[in-house]
Amino acid sequence: MARYIMKRLTAAIVTLLIIISVVFILVRQMPIEGYFDNFDKLDANIVRARLVQMGLTDPLFTQLKRFLGNLARGDLGTSARYSVGVPIRKILLTKIPVSLQLGLSSMALSLLLGVPLGVAMARSQTRYKARLWDAVGTVFIVFINAVPAAVYHIYLQAFGSRALNTSMLFSREQPLTWVLPILSMSLGSTAYYAMWLRRYMVDELNKDYVALAQAKGVTNQKVLARHVFRNAFVPMIQYLPTSLLYTVSGSIYVESLYSIPGMGGLLVDVIRRQDNPMVQILVIIYSCIGVVGLLLGDMLMVAIDPRISFAKKAGAR
Amino acid sequence: MIRLRTVVARKLEDAPVGTLVEAIPPRDPRLFEEQPFDRSNAERIGYSNYSYWGSALRAFLRRPVAVALLCVLAALIAFTFIQPLLPGQYPATLIINHPLTKRQLSSVPPTLSTALAKAPAGTPLIARPYNDPEWAAVTNLVGVIQRRVKFTVVEYAGGWLRVSSGGAEGWVANDFTNKLKLPGDPSDVPYDAQSNFPVNMFLSPNDYTNAGNELFARRADLEMDASGESAVTIRETQLRILPYQNGFWFGTNLIGQDLWALVWSGTRTSLFIGFMVALVEAGIGILMGIVWGYVRRLDRILTEIYNVLDNIPTTIVLILVSYIMRPSVRTLIFAMCLTTWVGMARFIRNQIVIIRDRDYNLASRCLGAPLPRVIVRNLLPYLVSVIMLRMALAIPGAIGSEVFITYIGLGLPVSVPSLGNLINEGRKLLSTSQSYQLVFPTIVLSIITISFYMIGNAFADSADPKNHR
Repeated sequence: MARYIMKRLTAAIVTLLIIISVVFILVRQMPIEGYFDNFDKLDANIVRARLVQMGLTDPLFTQLKRFLGNLARGDLGTSARYSVGVPIRKILLTKIPVSLQLGLSSMALSLLLGVPLGVAMARSQTRYKARLWDAVGTVFIVFINAVPAAVYHIYLQAFGSRALNTSMLFSREQPLTWVLPILSMSLGSTAYYAMWLRRYMVDELNKDYVALAQAKGVTNQKVLARHVFRNAFVPMIQYLPTSLLYTVSGSIYVESLYSIPGMGGLLVDVIRRQDNPMVQILVIIYSCIGVVGLLLGDMLMVAIDPRISFAKKAGAR
Repeated sequence: MIRLRTVVARKLEDAPVGTLVEAIPPRDPRLFEEQPFDRSNAERIGYSNYSYWGSALRAFLRRPVAVALLCVLAALIAFTFIQPLLPGQYPATLIINHPLTKRQLSSVPPTLSTALAKAPAGTPLIARPYNDPEWAAVTNLVGVIQRRVKFTVVEYAGGWLRVSSGGAEGWVANDFTNKLKLPGDPSDVPYDAQSNFPVNMFLSPNDYTNAGNELFARRADLEMDASGESAVTIRETQLRILPYQNGFWFGTNLIGQDLWALVWSGTRTSLFIGFMVALVEAGIGILMGIVWGYVRRLDRILTEIYNVLDNIPTTIVLILVSYIMRPSVRTLIFAMCLTTWVGMARFIRNQIVIIRDRDYNLASRCLGAPLPRVIVRNLLPYLVSVIMLRMALAIPGAIGSEVFITYIGLGLPVSVPSLGNLINEGRKLLSTSQSYQLVFPTIVLSIITISFYMIGNAFADSADPKNHR
């Protein structure tokens, strides 16, 4: 177990190093306008002097080494165009709490909606009266999965704000304006939880131990709650850390749509303003979140599911 | 080969169990003979009246919703190619101007024809100079009474007032925008009035203009007077916003382009992106998956590469690549293909690792079946369902990504119509009366994505041999 974790950690760190290097090298290929807020007005000599000052004329490898060193010390650099000269860390520190708040709420909401929906859909497999839930859930899941998120968020924003009689944009002071972004962000995960929980539960329902439990006289309710649900939820746990971490960064699209001052909206902003240093850092942060989320998910699985043993898996092929 | 089996069987019957190993003599050339691969024998043994593709098709046809959506989708895709060939279509990127004012015909609501109004026979109209043998430019706008200029109401007819002002006489709409000040008994004409806003004065109690612009009517329907400055309709006449018949079925957008043509042109672009992404994903994914699964020496390296690539969120790769490269269709396809093939390759690899050493494959190989035959007959049927599902889902995924990337501002330039562009432009108008500029593209987009999703799932289920009856 400890060896497995060590192995995964090393792999994750190597992966991160590769990702950071690749992103860094790629962003160096961008036009140099992205390092100045008033490029058009600058003299060519000044531009060259500033580039030298920022160390952008050094060999790529020297730059990369310096960048990695700065990252290790927690120095994320300064913004070039978004808000000139401000350390990126300072900007992020104001953005993360907002995203965290909204993201956690949306995650809680999607669990609250998705898990009962999945259970209801799975239950309607056993009881023929409750077929309605399966139909409703299927339509919902197909809709959310098939229609691009970019489209239904727009409509939810427009019609939702009209129905709730609130502003289309997010405002920290008005709690009512929080409802729609949180709902928007949770829809995708809700469908995800419902779809997979239903599938895993139906798989479990077809297993022999369920038949045995029913033969013993255990009520359907208890079979579902004690056996089927618990076993079916284990594979879902793997997804939780990733979705938790993505809440920190917020949904890029939704935050930008409602102009929420969070990380996701920030990424769209700095891309539109072509702020190279900030795009670079944000892309790296998002990739880190992906890596760390998968790592935590796997570890949580090992910790929770006794059936998974990695000692065997290491040798097996 | 058949002889081999009988020999071994006889040996097993004859010999006592303990001596079995010794009992098999060294290879006796009289008993064994080399059998080359024989195609006809292979067919004879392999024959059954089970046909994989036939069964897959039958299973698919049992799903009415999927079949219906497949028809809809096929018709829609066919139509995107037929549409530019139909008569009377506007080119997608053409900005349509009013022939007289040269202003863009922006935000014309959806209409089936260009006819804006119908004038009954005998309607007097003012003709404007417009040089066309078939069409005449007409209006019934006499002039504009400037704000706070006194005019005399000659006749009161509810919604319309006949007024005379500065020697000219005409009809004025009496609505709240004019804020006409009326005395206590309006039917007591004539009386003086004035408006706080400029008021349009028309020749008849009807507004036959398009926001003040001239409309067009067939010369055959009009009787022009000698000077060519005024005309009377001979019969009921269609007054059109443009001197041709073809209407804007989906309206026009803010800069006066025909949304109908734009939507279909955009659908072509988006479908092209989707299909290319799906094809590249399938091509690279299958190739890499087969190499990964079959070449054991590469397994470690490819697995490590997979672990790195799979960790990076697809959206982030998409954003980064689009940020670095110049926006174009090729960039988008490249950015989307860069990581998606990894998932496909892993699926194929896992399937191949599972299937390749199963007994029936071992048997096939022992019997000398060539590798292409093993792949096509033994492996492919197990892979087809996954490949088709992933391809079918890649298309709506790519279309959705395009919409997202366009929203961020890294998508295609506006000169290349795409569903992403149209939705991004229409997004800003959703709360206005021009919301049709968002609704039409999203309807087409949703039909496409939902159809692909449902068909892909249905086909994956029916291609899976486990579901064959």
